[in-house]
Amino acid sequence: MEPQMKRWKGSECDADSWVAYPILSDEQSEDVELVEAFAAPIVNKKETSRLIRELNSLYPLNGLQHVKRVRACRNKDSPHPLEVLLCLISDAPNTKEVSILSLLPSDGDKWEGLGEPFVVKIPARPPLTRPQFELASQRWPTSFHEDKQVTVALKGELFSPQQKATMHMFMTSAVAAARAAEQLGMEAVGAVVVDPEREQVVAVGHDCRGDHPLHHAVMVCIDLVAQSQGGGCHRSDRYAACRFTPTDPTELHPEGGALPYICTGYDLYVTREPCVMCAMALVHSRIGRVFYGAASADGALGTNFKIHAQKDLNHRFEVYRGVLSEQCEDLNMQDVLREHVEGRTE
Amino acid sequence: MATEEGSKAELEADFSINDEEMKRWMGRAFEMAKDALENGEVPVGCLMVHRDEVVGKGRNEVNETKNATRHAEMVALDQVLDWCRHSNLDVRSVCERTVLYVTVEPCVMCAAALRLMNIPLVVYGCRNERFGGCGSVLDISSANLHDTGTTFRCVAGHRAQEAVEMLKTFYKQENPNAPRPKTRKD
Repeated sequence: MEPQMKRWKGSECDADSWVAYPILSDEQSEDVELVEAFAAPIVNKKETSRLIRELNSLYPLNGLQHVKRVRACRNKDSPHPLEVLLCLISDAPNTKEVSILSLLPSDGDKWEGLGEPFVVKIPARPPLTRPQFELASQRWPTSFHEDKQVTVALKGELFSPQQKATMHMFMTSAVAAARAAEQLGMEAVGAVVVDPEREQVVAVGHDCRGDHPLHHAVMVCIDLVAQSQGGGCHRSDRYAACRFTPTDPTELHPEGGALPYICTGYDLYVTREPCVMCAMALVHSRIGRVFYGAASADGALGTNFKIHAQKDLNHRFEVYRGVLSEQCEDLNMQDVLREHVEGRTE
Repeated sequence: MATEEGSKAELEADFSINDEEMKRWMGRAFEMAKDALENGEVPVGCLMVHRDEVVGKGRNEVNETKNATRHAEMVALDQVLDWCRHSNLDVRSVCERTVLYVTVEPCVMCAAALRLMNIPLVVYGCRNERFGGCGSVLDISSANLHDTGTTFRCVAGHRAQEAVEMLKTFYKQENPNAPRPKTRKD
């Protein structure tokens, strides 16, 4: 490992100081919702497949296809090895005493293989992530269609050391831009837009709120990207740390030939979690992925909203938090301290 | 306290918009929207009115600038800032007494921008089912966000059908700037 590490560009060892975690949708990150159901031991094991068939037609578990009908008994010393779901409590007939006879219609000796019913809590929705699957399985056996990338990402292992070194380099530029903004008396926020295919910086920008209350670092960067494509409308050229790389049509992929279109396919590195305005600006700009260092109180990519995973919007993107987290949190802290001091002097 | 309540009452009085005013300003916002449509932009137009004076106006100019954030409201807010600079007036105190008239409900981004600028009242035509930030997709106008300016009130529905028809006309045309959809190779 050691000799290979040395060949990577940037300060590869520093890239071990942080971990990038994905910001998943609410559905992917919330706790496992449970519903109550009646289950019963299968006293006569030979009757299992017949009982399942009968129960499936009497009480189909609609919308709960992820739940298995039968589980192995948890208590290893139990005389019966299997337990079966009878029905959801909400589907059960309203009776005072719960027994097999009150839950299931008496029909000869059809239900003879079942013991006394009891209440269990089962997962109401299919698990979307491995942590959800593990929690759900503790309640009742559940099937799971695993998204391997999400599993690896949640462990913080999605990016290889080489990728992390590159990410480290780009976020370092964002931090430098943030420091430049701070020097100018503006908020210490910096951002970098990158073409990940060519590993090339398209634009570097920082907070310019001193000029315009809406010129947050992300808005500045989006306009710099527009300028790189021959458009744009801000006047940020007076700041040395705000710059863009003009699009060179000869350098573009010879086969694709398509000119870059707003931020399509680009990655954004920003020191602080974007606010609602900036987050939605990134949706409009069709950004590819967003990496941010530190969360912010009104942040809209995880803290207050998850605009990147909003169902009704026409564009969604991946978001990762934690790149250079320590340096980025330091920048935020300085802003908070400064505001505190300014607040006092007012 | 008394002065604060006084200024609040004054604010309310300023913003009791009568029908005639609404018709007049919205009429001009619709002219802006038509101009956008004629220039291949999403037909949304708006006006910023401060004490019966237009201090900003805008229409969508996303394709023209290659910047997807150049919505009518953002363009108009830039003009408000310029107006304040030229008139040597404090931005916040002007914005706190400025009404936005816009043909379509502001999107999530613009709603947040309007909050950051402390615009107190928005009069709009039709709802924005795709991107609306005043209730349609998210309700940013009244959300509890400590660092995102002040909440604002909305008056909706004036010439809504007409605003929708304009959007439909636009979306029926092809966007010449959008990348070509990838076609499968056989």
